[in-house]
Amino acid sequence: MTQKTLPMLAAMIGLATSYSYADSPLNIGFIVPNPVGEVGWDHELDRGRQMMEAHFGDQISVTAVDSVGEGPDATRMMNRMAAQGADMIFLGSFGHMNDGILLAKRNENLAVIHAGGYLTGERFATYAPRHYQASYLCGMAAGYVAEDAELGIIAAFPLPEVIGMMNAYVLGAQSVNPAINNVQVVWLNSWFDPARNRSAAEALISGGVDVLYSLFPGTPAAISAAEENGVYAVATLSDNSQFAPTKHLCAGQTHFGAIYINYVNSVMNGNFAAGDTFAGIAEDAMEVAGLSPDLTDNQRNAILAKQDEIRAGTFEPFTGPITDNSGDEVVTRGVRLTIGDIKGMNFLVQGLDTTLPN
Amino acid sequence: MDMIVFILTGAFATATPLLLAALGELVTEKSGVINLSVEGMMALAAAMGFATVYTTGSYLLAFAVAAGLAMLLSIVFAALVLIFSANQVASGLAAGILGLGLSALLGREYESFTLQAPSGLSVPNLSNIPVLGSILFEQDIVVYLTVTTGLCLMWIIQHSRAGLILRVVGEDPHIAHNLGFNVLRVRFLAILFGGFMAGLAGAYASTILTPIWSQGMILGRGWIALALVVFGTWRVLRVMIGAYLFGALLLADLAVQTLNLGIPSQVMTSMPYVMTIIVLAIVSRNALRIKLNAPVSLGQSYRPGQ
Repeated sequence: MTQKTLPMLAAMIGLATSYSYADSPLNIGFIVPNPVGEVGWDHELDRGRQMMEAHFGDQISVTAVDSVGEGPDATRMMNRMAAQGADMIFLGSFGHMNDGILLAKRNENLAVIHAGGYLTGERFATYAPRHYQASYLCGMAAGYVAEDAELGIIAAFPLPEVIGMMNAYVLGAQSVNPAINNVQVVWLNSWFDPARNRSAAEALISGGVDVLYSLFPGTPAAISAAEENGVYAVATLSDNSQFAPTKHLCAGQTHFGAIYINYVNSVMNGNFAAGDTFAGIAEDAMEVAGLSPDLTDNQRNAILAKQDEIRAGTFEPFTGPITDNSGDEVVTRGVRLTIGDIKGMNFLVQGLDTTLPN
Repeated sequence: MDMIVFILTGAFATATPLLLAALGELVTEKSGVINLSVEGMMALAAAMGFATVYTTGSYLLAFAVAAGLAMLLSIVFAALVLIFSANQVASGLAAGILGLGLSALLGREYESFTLQAPSGLSVPNLSNIPVLGSILFEQDIVVYLTVTTGLCLMWIIQHSRAGLILRVVGEDPHIAHNLGFNVLRVRFLAILFGGFMAGLAGAYASTILTPIWSQGMILGRGWIALALVVFGTWRVLRVMIGAYLFGALLLADLAVQTLNLGIPSQVMTSMPYVMTIIVLAIVSRNALRIKLNAPVSLGQSYRPGQ
């Protein structure tokens, strides 16, 4: 509670001054749930904001606040921004969803853009990156370097988005290394717990994995643990090379800025449409980053070539045949999963050695 | 086998911050004061302990700074409950929120920074014993010091004059006063000791156990320490066993998941809490003995001469 007061006060003063000239630049409020660290969710949201500001320059005026997670503080903050004449508000937490929908309903000239939700509404849009595309490419990297074909995954919650990323990762690994099987998985059942994240990494390392995939851990603790134990690490959201200078294998780097720029353009042109953006490599919202120098030139080129294929639309990771881990063919040959299928994914591909709750 | 060694070895480090904080709180509660600000003290200590190692590289200095700051916060709490006779629960919560807020403010610059993990000690010769050697003799120095502190406290509380005074104050401050002891001074020192230990716990969590600072990283471990004191029925040995068991179960959750025995991960994740409660409930099933160990005046304010 207390930690949020300072930035909030600062933002309110900022809003009071910046919103008094309502007609010139587009006023944008930007709320991020946690402190902006070096890597990860909040860092990437904030980097997206910077990209947006650099792109539009004087055309927009952005008031950014961090450390405002879901709850009454967030409600107050977004209402304040709306009352002071914001034209657009970006909400960075899943938990901002319901308040955001109400906010959009009440303010007729306001566009609300929410990260990673499942609801849309009047003037209320949601967006998510196609993380799984980068997961597939990083899976290829993992398949190349896994000498004993032992992969380990640390994952936050068994949600469709996370399951999709695990599946794509394993499919990518198997595409270059058919020996990949029995991929070990540890569920943290938490979005943020550095100590547990580190312990999970150590558990997998003591189980003999060659590559650790840290899937939405909210902290670089597992990546550091991999570096200390000489095991390759694959990261989500941001390039984590700084935490594993010698053992960083690959990361799915998100670029939220590309998504934001489109939204701001649509509001400026008066054709903002509330809806669902699912942007990936083709939209420049996603790419592989921090590829390890241990990969051979051929391997690196194969990964980048696959990335180009995804960009061009000639390849999609979730194209049949795909077999689930009970041996049933869930996607028939040549069939591509739809966005709905991907967003609601509830099966594990063959080779993933874990149990989903019913 | 590897997994069992992993669990039994790692449990010491996992349990150490819980145990340090719980031992401090146990002494505070033995004097009749319940301090609910453990979480906040740990967070503040974790932030500044991390910052100290990050800027100076000195672990000794970091633990000193962390313990010092947590003690300062405990002095704020002590002033409220001892001088102004404020409600202990409310004062503890307030001091805890203050600590959490300060940790976020002071740790802002260091958000999600990491440190190189210090390497553990390896006791010569003994660490070569198969299995047991790596479990018992390759821990970091704080683990050994924590266990030693626990054993010392066990003796001090049960058998020394200081321990007797502490217990008398916690049982009945009026009698202690009539016996000529300065109740407020004893309670103040007990609160200060609680702060000192919570400080060490926080510094250990952010610089050795998980060498990273991130706002909110203590994640309820201060509250678990408080719960351990109660479930351990204010007995040092039980609190020590409870903390180790909890640490082992936390790791068992993760280790068992890697084997995929078909148990839903949510069940495994709740296991440490469920099992610790069950085991400690069985150990402490004798209600009379709990009453014997629980400080009678716990939570009650005391004013000399009333």
